[in-house]
Amino acid sequence: MTRIISILLTTLLSTLLTVARANEPATEGESEGIDTKAIVFDHLGDAYGWEVPFNHHKRIPLPIIVKTDDGFHCFSSARVEHGAEWVDGGVTFKIAGENSEYKGKVVAIVDGKEVKPLDISITKNVLALFISVGLVVGLMLWLAGFYRRHGVGKTPRKGLGAVEAVLTFIYDGVIKSTLGKDAPRFAPYLLTVFFFIFGMNLLGLIVIFPGGANLTGNIAVTMVLALCTFLVTNIFGTKHYWKDIFWPDVPIWLKCPLPIMQVIEVFGIFTKPAALTVRLFANMMGGHMIVIVLTLLIFIFAAMSPVFGVASIAVSIPFSIFMLLIDCLVSFIQAYVFTMLSTIFISLAQEHGHHEEVNETIALETK
Amino acid sequence: MELFTPDFGLVFWMFVSFAVLFLILWKFAWPAILKTVNSRADLIDKGVEYAQSAKEQLDNARLSAQEVINEARRQQAEMMREADRIKTQMIEDARQSAQAEAQKVMDNAKLQIQQQQKEAQLQFRNQVSDFALQIATKVVKNQLGDQKAQAKLVNAILDDIDTK
Repeated sequence: MTRIISILLTTLLSTLLTVARANEPATEGESEGIDTKAIVFDHLGDAYGWEVPFNHHKRIPLPIIVKTDDGFHCFSSARVEHGAEWVDGGVTFKIAGENSEYKGKVVAIVDGKEVKPLDISITKNVLALFISVGLVVGLMLWLAGFYRRHGVGKTPRKGLGAVEAVLTFIYDGVIKSTLGKDAPRFAPYLLTVFFFIFGMNLLGLIVIFPGGANLTGNIAVTMVLALCTFLVTNIFGTKHYWKDIFWPDVPIWLKCPLPIMQVIEVFGIFTKPAALTVRLFANMMGGHMIVIVLTLLIFIFAAMSPVFGVASIAVSIPFSIFMLLIDCLVSFIQAYVFTMLSTIFISLAQEHGHHEEVNETIALETK
Repeated sequence: MELFTPDFGLVFWMFVSFAVLFLILWKFAWPAILKTVNSRADLIDKGVEYAQSAKEQLDNARLSAQEVINEARRQQAEMMREADRIKTQMIEDARQSAQAEAQKVMDNAKLQIQQQQKEAQLQFRNQVSDFALQIATKVVKNQLGDQKAQAKLVNAILDDIDTK
C-alpha cells in the first residue's frame, strides 16, 4: 500500500514540476538545455558532498583531506562549494572548474596554477564505503551474537534468518562445493567479499542518504576487490599451480624454444582479476545508468512539450521501478558471481592434479 | 573519462575499509558463525539419521509386536483347544472313573451278598444239622432206652470192627 502511495506521489510531483517548467517561458532555454550527460555522470561519479533530495544547491558537507608539499590539510567541503576558494594553512584550495584537466577535483592554487594534491578526502563514495562496512559488521556481529547466545539448538528467524539463509547458500552452495576441504581456510575472505559487495550494491539502490552512492559501479572499488582475490589466489597457490603455469603438460614444442604456453598462462593470471573488476563495475554502473536515464526521459520530453512530459511519466516511472527491482536481483547475482569466480580462481590455485576438469568448469562458468 | 580511472583516494580508503572489515569479521564473526552453521548441519544430519533409524526401529517394533500378537493369538487358540480337550477328557475320565467306582461298589455288594448267602446257608445248615442231631438224639434216646438194645448195638459195632 505504501509503495502505491509513494508511486502516486512521485508521479504527481513530477507532473507538477513539468507543468511548472512548461509555464515559465523565462526558463525555456534552460529546460531545453538539460545536460543529460552531466547529470548521469554526476550521479554515477563521486562528489565532495552528499546531495539531499529536492535541492540541487545544498549538500551534506564531508571532510576534505589533502596532502600538499607542506603537509596535510583538512577542511569541510562546504568551504569550497560552488567554486569558492578556501585558504587553509597558507595554501588556497578550490574545486577545479569545467575547463581544468582536474575537473571536479580539489586542487591547490600555487603561483596561479592548479596543482593536484594527494587527495584522500572522505568523499561521498568513501562515506558510503564506511556505511557499508558498518552495515556488514553490524549484521554479522548480530548473527554471531545470536549464535553465541543461543548455541546450536536455536535457528534465527525473520531478518537474521534471511541473513543466515544467504550465508549458508553461499557457504554450502559455492564455497564448500568448490573448495571442498580447503573451504574453512578461504571461507572468511570469500564470505566477507560477498556480503561487502551485496551490502554496497543494495545501499546503492536507495536513492537518498545513506544510500545512492554508485560504489560497486566504481572501478576503484571493484579493482581493489579483484586485487584482493588476485593476492589470495597467488599467495596461497600450490606448487602444482605454479608448475602448471611455467611448465604445463603440453607437447614440448609449445613451451620449449618459444614459451608460448607460459606467456598465455602468465597473461591468464592477470586477465582473471581484470575480468572480475570489469564485470562487476560494468554491470552495476549499467543498472544505475538505466534508472537515471529513464527518470531523465521525463524531463527531456517535458522540455519538448508538456503533453509528452506527462505521457512519458506513465512509461518512465513503471519502467524505472521495474529496473530497480531487476537491480535488486542483479545486486545479489553480481555479488554471487564475484564470489563464485573468486572461489573458482582460488580453487584452481589449490589443485593437486586433475587440472583439465576444473578448467572446463571455469570455461563454462565464465560464459 | 573519470569513470574509468580509479581515484587514488577511493582506492586507499577501499583498501583500509576492506582490511578493517575483513579483520573484524575474521576475528569476531566468521569463527562463531561458521562453527555454529557447521555444527548445526552435523546436528541436523545426525537428527535425520536418528529419525530414520528410529522409524526403522519403530517399523521393526511394530512388526515384532504384530508377530507377538499373532503368536499370542495362536497360543490362545491352542490353549483354548487344549482346554477344551482337557475338559472333555476330564468329563470322560470322570464318567469312566464313576462307572468303575459304581462297578466296584456293585461288585462288592454282590460279593457281600454272596458271602452273606453262604453264611446264611452255613448257618442254616448248622441249624438244620443241630436240629437233626437233637431229633436224632431224641430218637436214639427213645430207641436205646433199655439195656439190651444198647448192648446189641455195641456188639454190632464191635462185629463191624472185627470184620474189617
